[in-house]
Amino acid sequence: MNPHLLTILIFLPLAAATSMLLVPSAKKAAYKYMALTTGLLQLVLSGAMYHLFHPKGAGITDERLYQFVDHVPWIRLDMGSLGRLEIDYFIGVDGLSMPFLFLTSLVMLIAIGASWHVQKRVKGYFILLMVLDMAVMGVFSALDFFLFYIFYELMLLPLYFLIGIWGGARREYAAIKFFLYTLFGSVFMLLIIVGLYFSVINPETGAHTFNMLHMMDAANYVPDSLFSAIAQRELFGMPARLLGFIVLFIAFAIKVPIVPLHTWLPDAHVEAPTPVSIILAGILLKIGGYGILRVCLSIFPDAALQSAWWLGLIGVVSITYGALVALAQRDLKRMIAYSSVSHMGFVLLGIASLTAAGTAGAVFQMISHGFLSAALFFLVGMLYDRVHDRDIYHFRGLASLMPRFTVFVAIAFFASLGLPGFSAFIGEAFVIIGAFNAESIHGLLPRWMAISGSVGILLSAAYFLWTLQRMFFGQPRLKGGVEWAAALSDASPRETLIMVPMLALAFLLGIYPALALDNINASVLALVELVTGN
Amino acid sequence: MPAYTLTYPLLAALSAVLLPFAAFLLTAVLGKKAKHGTISIVAISLSLLAAGYAFTQVWGNTPIHIQWHWFTIGRHAFHVGLLLDNMAVLMLVLVCLIALPVHCYSIAYMRGDPGIHRYWAYLSLFCFAMLGLVVADNLLLMYICWELVGFASYLLIGFWYTRDAAVQANKKAFIVNRIGDIGFLLGIAILHSSFGTLDIQALFGPQGLLTAPMGADTPAIAAEGTITSGWLTVAGLAFFLGTMAKSAQFPLHVWLPDAMEGPTSVSSLIHAATMVAAGVFLLARVFPIFDDTTLLVITTTGTVTAFAAAYFALAQYDIKKILAFSTISQLGFMMVGIGIGMYHVALFHLVTHAFFKCLLFLSAGAIIHGMQHAKEKHQLDIDPQDIRHMGGLRRHMPLTFTTMLIASLALAGFPFTAGYLSKDALLVHAFEWAALHGEAAIAIPLVLVIVSILTSFYIFRLLAKVFFARPSVLANNDIHIHEASRWMLAPMAFLAFCSLFPIFTFHPLNDGQVWLLHGLVAEAPTLPPLRPLHILVPALATAATLVMATLAWRWYVNGHYPIRTKGVLYRLSERQGYLNELYDAIIVRPLLKLSLLLLWIDHHVVDGAINGMATAGRSLAGIAAWIDYHLVDGLIRLVGNLAWGAGHVLRRSQTGRVQQYVALVFFIVLVILLYHIFAQA
Repeated sequence: MNPHLLTILIFLPLAAATSMLLVPSAKKAAYKYMALTTGLLQLVLSGAMYHLFHPKGAGITDERLYQFVDHVPWIRLDMGSLGRLEIDYFIGVDGLSMPFLFLTSLVMLIAIGASWHVQKRVKGYFILLMVLDMAVMGVFSALDFFLFYIFYELMLLPLYFLIGIWGGARREYAAIKFFLYTLFGSVFMLLIIVGLYFSVINPETGAHTFNMLHMMDAANYVPDSLFSAIAQRELFGMPARLLGFIVLFIAFAIKVPIVPLHTWLPDAHVEAPTPVSIILAGILLKIGGYGILRVCLSIFPDAALQSAWWLGLIGVVSITYGALVALAQRDLKRMIAYSSVSHMGFVLLGIASLTAAGTAGAVFQMISHGFLSAALFFLVGMLYDRVHDRDIYHFRGLASLMPRFTVFVAIAFFASLGLPGFSAFIGEAFVIIGAFNAESIHGLLPRWMAISGSVGILLSAAYFLWTLQRMFFGQPRLKGGVEWAAALSDASPRETLIMVPMLALAFLLGIYPALALDNINASVLALVELVTGN
Repeated sequence: MPAYTLTYPLLAALSAVLLPFAAFLLTAVLGKKAKHGTISIVAISLSLLAAGYAFTQVWGNTPIHIQWHWFTIGRHAFHVGLLLDNMAVLMLVLVCLIALPVHCYSIAYMRGDPGIHRYWAYLSLFCFAMLGLVVADNLLLMYICWELVGFASYLLIGFWYTRDAAVQANKKAFIVNRIGDIGFLLGIAILHSSFGTLDIQALFGPQGLLTAPMGADTPAIAAEGTITSGWLTVAGLAFFLGTMAKSAQFPLHVWLPDAMEGPTSVSSLIHAATMVAAGVFLLARVFPIFDDTTLLVITTTGTVTAFAAAYFALAQYDIKKILAFSTISQLGFMMVGIGIGMYHVALFHLVTHAFFKCLLFLSAGAIIHGMQHAKEKHQLDIDPQDIRHMGGLRRHMPLTFTTMLIASLALAGFPFTAGYLSKDALLVHAFEWAALHGEAAIAIPLVLVIVSILTSFYIFRLLAKVFFARPSVLANNDIHIHEASRWMLAPMAFLAFCSLFPIFTFHPLNDGQVWLLHGLVAEAPTLPPLRPLHILVPALATAATLVMATLAWRWYVNGHYPIRTKGVLYRLSERQGYLNELYDAIIVRPLLKLSLLLLWIDHHVVDGAINGMATAGRSLAGIAAWIDYHLVDGLIRLVGNLAWGAGHVLRRSQTGRVQQYVALVFFIVLVILLYHIFAQA
């Protein structure tokens, strides 16, 4: 087995992007086939890694329990009185990141499939897509905070252009809003990273370090440093560690997104072209949840314990608020965007429960939402491609016109609203069970939070079924009349080929969740133990 | 202890569950080619055989339990498995036994429908979900099947999806059921957090964690585990909430009358052995969890439901709506049976009710079918389900009339029918229960007696108006309504036989001899019997039935109709207590208003703050730019401009003419001289 498998996985898209640069712009078709090949290769590679992954590899704080590790010194700089700068190229995989690597390669492949008919500046489009792919893979693998930050910021650039150039009517507004919002979070994150750097010492070399695993161990903190747990330093009248946690949490929570930091999402989703919506909902939101688990909880477990109640509250608010606003939407894509807010609220509630069931449920929910939301956005894109309209009230009785499309929509809707047999059910049910258990295990979350969270399950049925009823059932009646009826052809073979695997995967994970849970469990247990101490 | 080897009864039960699922998949894949439904019918027939075999092996013997590891979350392992005890195999057989006639009936009833292939697929899925529910060995698996039952009913109710009423009805059914699902899920969460397991045998079995001392009046206290009595009550109520939605208990029953928008064959299945039966079955399964409070809530809700639904049934004109309210009312009876601790009697009533209610619906379907044909043939402008347009059908459809009569008598609890055995048993036990529970408790059995009288009335009203009354629309024409076809009559005849006493006991008037009760009684509690009631109550009930039959005859056949149709009580019944309007006003519309309000807030406040910050940032930048341009840069430019201005002025002196330069020098020297002269002076 190649020891640099993970590195290859991350930089494969970069190699593809470089070779795309060399292909003359006139050969438009070449780019999508190159991208498709890369996507397929990545899928095979990450699938193989998933297969090779040992379920006992808990990771979290212990480098030896990470798998596919690549750890080499990258930047060493003598900075005089400040000591030696130590930045490593340190990547590895544990149960928290492995499922996301597979998810990323899958969603990327779907996004490439959804980009098949892009006409505008094809070369630039696919190169940006490849750069984005690399950055996302990097974020999920990086274990050095500096490296993590580089990949994290690198994601923004291609996304900004992808929305701003290939987007809809208000694309520029949406792109800048998305960019500034995310940057707002990450700039402050940089301050905390620097603070952590000066607080933590690599026990082997004695130098300050960006190694995240060292940051997770209280023994590595300089006794009187800013973030030392023993020193209990204050910053702006607040415990420094709590402040650090909050700042990092906000940076990631913007990505999740949480209410009230969510308004970039509907705009970005609606204005972005379909493939970018798929990537945004399918992967980008998960980086938020992953960041909270990997960074916030692991590095600041004490602050996490203090803030659990608030995290749970934010989760519950996001669930119900997102669902209610989704109920009021007329635009199908916006409705799905708000449903994402609601479904990602479950992730936060599960994380806040700090129980094995809740946290594993949260990770599972993220994976499930990854391809279900990708499927939903793809389906909206199919409709939009045909008639360039998404208003729910402009359609009626689509089931008679597009039966196969309707079957896909119905399956995706029911899977999303948590019908047992599909993956979202397992995620949501165990988040609720975990949140409910929290009171009897450590009393972090009151039980009413679990009960309020379950109201979201009810509301999601309401908005999805109402949409089904309004758009797909009844006698056909379209705003565009005969012209639309002619344009609304049923799902093409390409579209079917993309939809079937996604829905099949949702079904497979729904009836056999062990496929994902077996690999997640050890890490979740280790993480919960790290935070709660049992 | 769960077994790990697949014995023949287990294999049979497993195949009984999975065959309809295979039929569903196959039909779904074949699409339009599968319109004859052969696959579904073969599957359900084989399921019946397998279920019958499992029944003979398990009934009366020790339960068989098998489980396989499913997944692990954290440290908790979850299993899938089968639990075959008397209750499970009884339901297994019942579901197949009801489903098979319905399948056969559907061949004729649904013939020619353009979406028939979907119909068969949905029907198989429905059977699979219900069969899975009855053999599930743990609550999570049961919950999954529970929701799948709801999902399949959603598909079937909305089968004619181009009809607005149908798609509104299926949405309503699913959402109301979701309310119950939340209850079920919370119940699961409570049990899981208290006991760490969801295994039915481990929780509720004879040596289970929640073993209840027999008797409805003893609180069930956990033998071990850490549940407080408060949470025990909450858990019981949570499970009951699930049942209230699924088994259509007041006030969550509103979805069931609307669900009549589905094909009648589907209604018969939903109302008999699947869907609504699931709720009763769940309560019987988790029975040890209920404490006094919960049992009282169940009893009261059941009584209220039984009464309200019977009352609403009185003034309905849609033949299917009458039957729908009748189902709700009978489910109320079953709830009372559970609430008073006699859940084996409740299950017995579930079984007898399944047969006669299925038969009522199939007969109604035959009538509607006939009316529909007449309507199409003679271009009549009538609703084929409205009993006001019927009348005198006795002569047109004698066989349908016979089956409907048998089913109606069973519903009314007439001697020699199965309904007599189960319903009167429930009534008697309700009196016995009330005797133990103080004076106020007597209200429960008294209301139930009134409900039985109302039941007799509305069902005889139906019979009188449909079969005996003077034909209304049909009278003027030479219209003949055809008797149903053989494919429909054969299942009806079978069910008619099952609605009579012989398959339950050889002693038609004594419920004490019913083999089914003896099979279940080993695990079920008993109440101290009050002997005289066992004769008195059935006798009175039968007498009341006869009186009501006479009354209905006088009112509707002889035309001595005494009631004004404008009265408040009448309209309250006709409009189903205005509950739909009430829910619309206090739940649906406020919720939509709230969502619109939140949308406005989202747009103007939350996003407004962001955009406001952007505007503020841009204004700030504008001010900075102005300062930068006008003040900071202005100062710099001032210096430059001054230098430039000075240079511009002085430039004029550089003319290159020597005379001017000499004159200038002379002028300056002159100034200096003058200065010195004046300075010294």
